[in-house]
Amino acid sequence: MTKLSLRDAGLSLGGREVLSGISLELGAGDFVALVGPNGSGKTSLIKLCLGLYPQGRGEVRLDGEELRSLTPKRRAAGLAWLPQRWEPSEPLPVLEVVAAARYRLREPFRVAAAAATRALDRVGAADLAERHLDELSGGELQRVLLAAVVAQEAPLLFFDEPANHLDPQHQIATYRLLGELRAGGAGVLCVTHDINLLAHIDGAEKIRVVGMRDGRIVLDTRYSDPDLAKGLSELYLAEYAEFKDGSVRHFYLRAERTPGAFEASGGEG
Amino acid sequence: MNRSALGGVSLVLHAAACLLLLAVVPLIGPSLDVPSGDFILWQLRVPRLLVGALVGGTLGLSGAVYQALFRNGLATPSTVGTLAGATLGALFVLVLGGGSALGLPAVAVAAFLGAVGLSALVLAVAARQRASMSDVLLAGIAVTLAASALSTGLQYTADSRALFAAAQWSLGSLPQVGYKAVLWLLPFTLLSSLLMLLLARPLQALVAGEEVAATQGVSIARVRALALGAGALGVAACVAWCGPIAFVGLLVPHLVRGLGAVTYRRLLPLSWLYGATLLVWCDTLARLVWPGGELPVGVVTAALGAPALIFVVARRRR
Repeated sequence: MTKLSLRDAGLSLGGREVLSGISLELGAGDFVALVGPNGSGKTSLIKLCLGLYPQGRGEVRLDGEELRSLTPKRRAAGLAWLPQRWEPSEPLPVLEVVAAARYRLREPFRVAAAAATRALDRVGAADLAERHLDELSGGELQRVLLAAVVAQEAPLLFFDEPANHLDPQHQIATYRLLGELRAGGAGVLCVTHDINLLAHIDGAEKIRVVGMRDGRIVLDTRYSDPDLAKGLSELYLAEYAEFKDGSVRHFYLRAERTPGAFEASGGEG
Repeated sequence: MNRSALGGVSLVLHAAACLLLLAVVPLIGPSLDVPSGDFILWQLRVPRLLVGALVGGTLGLSGAVYQALFRNGLATPSTVGTLAGATLGALFVLVLGGGSALGLPAVAVAAFLGAVGLSALVLAVAARQRASMSDVLLAGIAVTLAASALSTGLQYTADSRALFAAAQWSLGSLPQVGYKAVLWLLPFTLLSSLLMLLLARPLQALVAGEEVAATQGVSIARVRALALGAGALGVAACVAWCGPIAFVGLLVPHLVRGLGAVTYRRLLPLSWLYGATLLVWCDTLARLVWPGGELPVGVVTAALGAPALIFVVARRRR
């Protein structure tokens, strides 16, 4: 069973402490929701987990082996990533982009293309296969990238705000898919600002909610935590409240009690 | 416009068309039905065709590879200082004088060494894992500017005969007698082209960006070193023999994309084929268009290449 573990990991970029004292584990079947204000280090943490910062401090191990000692192909066999922003340099056909995510596998193109077709089907984007990247809407592009992550067939998956730019229906569909991937045995770490989307994941109560502020983990709880609203309020320096609709929990921001990030001086990490 | 106008046409058909276009070239020009016809055909036109094909193919392919690596359609074989280094090396010999070395013209040897030397400097920057491709681009520009300044300085001290030789060299040309150039170009260009053709998969993955490609299993530092190293080696050999021929490396990848090749499995081999065909035909024009003598092929590639590039790019933005 694949497992990524960080022990007292840290990172400085350009002399600035971006991450420090991070200890975290992600294994098969886990679902970690990573939350926290802008600039708190969420994306940096994901990139550290992926081995994109060889200069990072502390221990990052994949199945017990130091991540930086592994070849890129070994890492790609364990970890896949949907970045927050993605700027392809050329308008390639969609099928090619998804197939390219299987770079680590030595296989003929037609095998990769078949896997890419299945992955596109899985995210409901089979009809996009023949289109070119520059003909897609933001939401379509996001689904194509989701398909690329699925096609890579790595057991541990990192998503950085995967529902960005999506309409509500596609947001929900995306989170359902993350839930399905987890149910299929994947370990998922997902950055999100919208805690309510987690409700659409099967077995939501077992989701681990990890909150970051100023490069440190300051909140580590479960979605089922009855005090989750309080934890989020302290994390975001805002006032969260909860109401229940039957068994479904809804979290909302009490706008009248929240100063707003521009007024709350020092609010940005 | 249908985006893949010729995209469905198989590589084999493209290759056949290119080979046919190349094969007729030795028959073009003054009649071979003279006593020296055999000599003209086998000692002048055929070696010139082969040199043109090897050089054009290598320049076209390296252009495609560099554009992928830098994620920039303006990258050319000269982006990492290869051409500036060759020019500097050649000028040293042309201005300061020199005979031959290893039975080769000293100009070619010096140009090759200059090209390899300056490219190696830029490669050293590229091989550092933390360097971004814009760092590499900057290093290439810095090296090119420095080498150009030195070249200008050298020319300033030169006499008029050396200046004329330098100007002639800098335009690029393919005239060859016999097979010496073919035999020297063959190992460098074939090794370089083969290595670059093998990079189709990682270059395709790089379209997603270096970080995404890295998480998909691409070894970024290795691909950079291989692509730039192989490209510089092949281009250095070409420039050493034929001078800095303009526009082939920049134009050909755009032209081939215009033909509908979007994936690197097709783009790379087609860039080689059409680079070879384009340069050979430009050279054929160069020796026919001016009845009194012949133009340097670099003049023809630049004169035809610039408008062709503008046409291709303008048509692409629908």
